Amino acid sequence: MDVALSKNGARLLKAFFALVVVFLYAPIVILFIFSFNKSNVPAFPLSGFTLHWYHQFLANSELKDSLQASAIVAALSGAVAVLLGILAAIALVRHRFRGNGPVSALLLSPLVIPYVVFGLALLLLFHTIGLHRSIFTVVIGHVVITVPYTILVLMPRLQQIDVSLEEAAHDLGASRVRTFRSITLPLLLPAVVSAYLIAFTTSFDEYAVASFVVGTRETFPIYLYSALRFPSNLPQVIAVAVVVISVSLIVVVGAEVGRRVAERRLEVPTDR
Amino acid sequence: MAVDSRAGELPRRKRQRPDLTAPSLLGLPLAWLAVFFFVPIAIVAAYSFDVLSFGTGTHAFTLRAWHDFLHGGVYLRLFWKSVKMSLIVSTIIVVLAYPLAYYLALSGTRRKYVLLLLLIAPFLTSYLLRVLAWKVILGDNGVLNSFFFWTGLRSPEHPFSQLLYSRFAVMLVLGYIWLPFVALPIFVSLESLDRRLLEAASDLGASRLYAFRRVTLPLSLPGIVAAFLFVFIPTIGEFVTPSLVGGANGYMYGNQVVDLFETGFPDWETGSVLAIFLLVVVALLTLVFSRFLQPKQVTAG
Repeated sequence: MDVALSKNGARLLKAFFALVVVFLYAPIVILFIFSFNKSNVPAFPLSGFTLHWYHQFLANSELKDSLQASAIVAALSGAVAVLLGILAAIALVRHRFRGNGPVSALLLSPLVIPYVVFGLALLLLFHTIGLHRSIFTVVIGHVVITVPYTILVLMPRLQQIDVSLEEAAHDLGASRVRTFRSITLPLLLPAVVSAYLIAFTTSFDEYAVASFVVGTRETFPIYLYSALRFPSNLPQVIAVAVVVISVSLIVVVGAEVGRRVAERRLEVPTDR
Repeated sequence: MAVDSRAGELPRRKRQRPDLTAPSLLGLPLAWLAVFFFVPIAIVAAYSFDVLSFGTGTHAFTLRAWHDFLHGGVYLRLFWKSVKMSLIVSTIIVVLAYPLAYYLALSGTRRKYVLLLLLIAPFLTSYLLRVLAWKVILGDNGVLNSFFFWTGLRSPEHPFSQLLYSRFAVMLVLGYIWLPFVALPIFVSLESLDRRLLEAASDLGASRLYAFRRVTLPLSLPGIVAAFLFVFIPTIGEFVTPSLVGGANGYMYGNQVVDLFETGFPDWETGSVLAIFLLVVVALLTLVFSRFLQPKQVTAG
């Protein structure tokens, strides 16, 4: 007898799980369907198949420019966040120092700030010091909100890496930098990649903070938000939505699978 | 910044090398957060006391805006309305997510990580686009209504008109957005549950329900609390979803903060008061429940 679930209980939960998955994916499926619908109003009945909306958004230079701006913002803020995350994670995991607890709480505190508060706080900062808003001010904000995620991804992986490998390298005369480059970093790499992907996708999608500090050059979410106000743009936006959601689902699933495979492989030398 | 003050002494613990590197490693991340996170918050506080203000330089410290905020009632009522909406959403989706997490963690299904990924994946796609999907579905002439017209279940003269631009729409969309994420901490706490405890309970004659009430539920409580806070904290200050699907009825505290900064008649002083108040409430919640908000709640698995 299973102690946690009766047979019927398990069936019931399975059905409920399936129901929730349908609820979660149905809106996405609806977007898929209507992105190929001829009518310029997304409503039933369906009025025939078209690729028009995809063509239209491919020709929309404003939209492409916003995608490019977001790609730049996400690539930069991801890189900075991962760099800061690696430094912080190594300090927190590899070095025991007084105040470890409070310091990690400080580093993770951006996780709980309401974005509306952080957005306007940055706005006031830039206003006070007279820094013009641009995509770089967005990068600054996105680094703050993504650093905690990178730390959370890197720390557990770093804890798994056997310290004695680093100590051995050190004993054999490798400098700290050399040890990091040839021992720690290669073992940490899968986590670095997934930390970067998480930071990248978070930044690429971030609207709330960006809405306060973005300059005249719009990022993709900012463009999207303003486009949502005009119904005539809707079919086009739905087509973009389908592309963006598909790409992010593929990246997310791919990254997760890749990370598991890579870490399983790297586990061999440390398993003893 | 607290650093290793023992660095100068000879290391008492053998394995720990005397450590001068931790401060230098932490320097950059902490500096970044100090300049771009803590200082900005201090500036907001300064605005709320009118020490700094829009365009006109510095002033004397005043509690005027705070006094008006606490005695005026309008903003506090709006705050309570947002708290209530947020509480309802958090409660409902924790209740919905619990059986999902239970199924994944305890049913013995072999594909539990695949199913978990299936559940979480929507959370990792674009937030705005998921709101957009509901805008398309819920509109007066949207997918849902037009489906009912088309199939003749409802006449076009009488659409379900309260679907979009309502408090209901805001709560539905927020619930939809956060549901996958909420299952995660509950899953982690159930996953770490020692099944032998349940076996022992069963051997001692406890029914499944009794064992659930006395063993599983109490042991998964930290996960439940964490899950609850993971939704409650971000939704209480939400402004994007209400501005897209809320209309006047679904207007939340966060929208008020934005409007005080961005409309034709900005009032940065009052806006800063509202922001700091929200921040204090969230910070207190975080502190009180900090033992439930451990990083491991989200990173495992």
